[in-house]
Amino acid sequence: MDPDPGVMIPVRIGRALCLRGLPVMTILRIAAAGLSLLLAAGCSTPAPPRAEAGLPACSPPSGSVKMTPTTIDVVERAYFCILGESQADGRELLTVAFAALVRKLVQDGRDLPGAVMPALTGDRVADWAAFETRFRVIADRLPVLRDGLAALMLVAMVGAVRHARWERPPEVPPDHHDGDGYGLGLRTSAPPSPLFVTAVDGGPARAAGLRPGDVIESADGELAPVYPDAHPVRLRLLRPGTGRRWSVTLTPGVYPRDPAALRVVRSESRGGVAYVRVSGFPPDAANRALRAISRLRAGRVLTGVVLDLRGNGDGSSTEAVRLLSAFVHEKVTAHGCTADGRCQGVWTDDTVPLLGLPLVVLVDHGCAAACEHFAAAVKDLRAGTLVGARTAGAIPGPARRFDLGNGTTLSLPHRHHLGPGGEVVDGIGVPPDRHVPPTARDAAAGRDRALEAALTLLRP
Amino acid sequence: MRRLLAAALLTAVAASACSAPEPPRSAAPSAAPARPVTLPVPAGGPIGSTVLHLTDASRPDPWDESLPARELKVTLWYPTKPGDGPRAPYMSVKEAELLLTGTGMAPESSQALSQTRTHAVRDADPAGRGLPLVVLSPGFTKPMSTLTSLAEDLAARGYVVAGIDHTHESYATTLADGRVVGCLACESSNDPGFRAGLVRGRAADVSFVLDRLTTAYPHLIDRERIAMAGQSIGGAAAVAAMVADPRIRAGIDMDGTTYARIPDGGLSRPFLFLGTPQHAPGGLDHSWDRDWRKLTGWRRWLVVDRAEHQTFTDVPLVAGVIGLESLPGMLPAARGAELTRAYVAAFLDLHLRGRPQPLLDGPSPRHPEVRFAAQ
Repeated sequence: MDPDPGVMIPVRIGRALCLRGLPVMTILRIAAAGLSLLLAAGCSTPAPPRAEAGLPACSPPSGSVKMTPTTIDVVERAYFCILGESQADGRELLTVAFAALVRKLVQDGRDLPGAVMPALTGDRVADWAAFETRFRVIADRLPVLRDGLAALMLVAMVGAVRHARWERPPEVPPDHHDGDGYGLGLRTSAPPSPLFVTAVDGGPARAAGLRPGDVIESADGELAPVYPDAHPVRLRLLRPGTGRRWSVTLTPGVYPRDPAALRVVRSESRGGVAYVRVSGFPPDAANRALRAISRLRAGRVLTGVVLDLRGNGDGSSTEAVRLLSAFVHEKVTAHGCTADGRCQGVWTDDTVPLLGLPLVVLVDHGCAAACEHFAAAVKDLRAGTLVGARTAGAIPGPARRFDLGNGTTLSLPHRHHLGPGGEVVDGIGVPPDRHVPPTARDAAAGRDRALEAALTLLRP
Repeated sequence: MRRLLAAALLTAVAASACSAPEPPRSAAPSAAPARPVTLPVPAGGPIGSTVLHLTDASRPDPWDESLPARELKVTLWYPTKPGDGPRAPYMSVKEAELLLTGTGMAPESSQALSQTRTHAVRDADPAGRGLPLVVLSPGFTKPMSTLTSLAEDLAARGYVVAGIDHTHESYATTLADGRVVGCLACESSNDPGFRAGLVRGRAADVSFVLDRLTTAYPHLIDRERIAMAGQSIGGAAAVAAMVADPRIRAGIDMDGTTYARIPDGGLSRPFLFLGTPQHAPGGLDHSWDRDWRKLTGWRRWLVVDRAEHQTFTDVPLVAGVIGLESLPGMLPAARGAELTRAYVAAFLDLHLRGRPQPLLDGPSPRHPEVRFAAQ
C-alpha cells in the first residue's frame, strides 16, 4: 500500500538497467508505478535475434546490480554485441583494443616479446579466438594486471564506436546523503578558455572561497571528477573585479547541495510571464511543467512562457516532445534514422492541449540529447525563440542497452537524430536565435542576461 | 478488490526507483463491503482530540509555488476528564477516498474506513498541567490519521500528542476552508535531493508547530519535555527536526530510511531506531548504519521480527476494511500495534518522565519478536 520513499535501498532499478524488450516509456511507467517484479519480467523479455548466426546473442540487461571484475569474457560479449548491433569493423575493434593493451605495457615498463597483434582474417569468430589466445598468453605473464587490462581494452573498443557507452553501476560514497554532490563543488562555462566559474554549489569550492565569475586560468586535473576519483586539482584563478590572482588545491569530496535547487521542475511568475526551469526530462517532466504553468495561470493573465532548459542534459525525448506539443501541433519534431538511411518522423503529441502562449527557450552548452531535440524543433518549427548559447551537440539518438555479464552494460545507439528540417544536430548543436552567452562579469554580478532578454521579448 | 499487504513490503524495497503509487496487484472480485473496525483500546485514562489549522506566514509552501504561506493541519490528542461525547472522526469520507485511490485501490471502502472507531472524545477539554509533548509525523502520502492508534495510546498514558499533516505530502489533507488537497510533493518524489528536502521541510513544520503549541497551551504543555516520533519518512523527519531544533529532547524513527545530515559532532539526545528486518544492521539500506555512528547519547536499535513497513501504523488494523490481505507469517495486526505502543511508550517514559524501563535494557521473554540489534 505504501509508495513511501521512507525505505530506500541504494540500487538503481529501472531506467539504468532495462530499456529493451518493452518500449522505453512503458518500462519507465511501470518503474514509476513501483512494480519491481513486473519490471524484472519486462527486462527478461528476449531481445529480437539480430546477431549473426553463430555469434553469441546480445542480451538486454538482466537486472543484476552487483558488479564483478571485467574479464576477457566481458570484452568478448561487448565485441560480439557491437558487431551484431552496428556497422563496426571487427578488425578495427580488436586493433584499438590491442593498441590500448600495448600502451599500458609500455607505460608500466612491462613490455613483452610476445605482445604482437595476431593476424586477422575478417572472420569475426576466428579473429576473436586468435585475439583472446594472444591476450591470455600476455595476461598470464602479468596476473596482477589481468582484469585491469581487460577493462582498458573494453574502454578502447567502446571508444571506437560513436556514441557507444560502457555503463557501470554508480558507486556511492559511504557518507553519501540524498541529494549530495560529489566533486569540487563548482560548475564552469563551456570550454574553450577562458573558463570561468558559473556556479558554486558547495563543498571544496565554497570552502576555498571561489565565486561565480572567477576565471580559471589553469587546472591540472579533472574539474568534474566522478567518485571514487579523489585526485586533488590545483587551480590558478583570477578574480577580474579585483585583479587578484591566486592558486588553490581542491580535493573532490561529498558535499550537501540545496534540495530546492535540485528539483527538476521549478517555476515562478515573473511579472506576467511564467518562468519554468526544467533541468532534465525524466518521466512526467512535461506534465509537471504544464501543471506548473496552469497553476501560475490560475487567476491571472500570462503574456508568455520562458522555458529554461540550460543544463538540461538527460532524459526522454518523449517528454521533450510532449512539452513541445503544448506549443505546436501536427508537426514532425525530429527524424530517427537507421544506419542504412531509413528514417521515421517523430510527431508532436496532439493530445496535449495547446497553451496558446508565446514561448522563449533558454539554452546553453549544457542542453544536450532530448533538450536538443526540443531546441532544434522549436527553431525549425518556429514554435518560439531560442535565447542563450549554442547547445551541446550531443544527441546520439535512442540507444539500446546490453548486458555484459558482470553487472555492467553496453549502450549502443540504434537510430541517429536529425532535426525537423533533416539537418544533423549531433556534433553541431543548435545555435540560438538570440546569442546571449554567459560572461564572467555577469556571473560575478549574479546577472542573468539571457533571462532578461527572454522576459523583454515576452512582456507586452 | 483484494491486495496483499506484502505489496507494501515490495514497494518499500523498490522505493528508490519507484515512489509513485503502484496499481493494484490483483483484481479479484470484491467480497461484501467490510464493516468498520474499532482501534485497539488505549492503555490509560480518558482522552480527547481536536484539530487545529495553523498558518506559518514566514515561509511559502514548499510544494505549491503560488502559496506565500505554509498551512498545516495539526491533530491534538490529550488526557481529558471522564465524560461522554461524540468520538473524534478517524478521517472524512473524502480523505479516505483520496487515500485509497491515490494508493491505487478501489474507493468502495471509503465509507467504512472513515467510520473506523476511535476512542478520543471530539473537542473534549484537556485535563492536566505540565504534560510532556510528543510530535508525530506520518509516512509519505499518508494522512496523520494512519498513526491514530499510537497517538491515542500515548494520550491515554498522559502525553499531549501533536500529529502533523504535512500539507501536499499526503494524498488527502483537509485545510481550514474545507478544501481537501492532494499530494503535490508526489510530482517530484523521484528528483535528486527530494527526500533530503522533504525532511528539512518537515523539520521547519515541526519547529513552527512547537512555537505555536507552547505559546497556545503554556499550562498544559511542559516545553522542557518534548519528543518526536514518526513512521517511514516521518521517522527520518524526526532526525531532521532534532538536528534543527534543540527543544526536541528525544526521537524515534519507525522504519524510515534517514536523509538528514547529522553534524560531525553527533546527536547526543536519546534516539530509538525501531525497524523491520529490512532495517537490520548491515542491510541493504545503509542509512541507519551511517547515522548510528553519529548517535552519541542513549540509543537503541530494535528490529521487530515478522514486522513489515506498516506494522507501526494503523494500516494492518484496517487492512480487512480496505481489502488488504496480510502476508502469511507476518505479525497479527493487534500484536504489531501492541509492540509499537509498548516500545514507543517505554522510550518516552524513560526519557521524558525519567521512569526506568527494563523493557529497553534487553530482550524480553514477553516480547520475543523484538531483537536488540545494537545499543
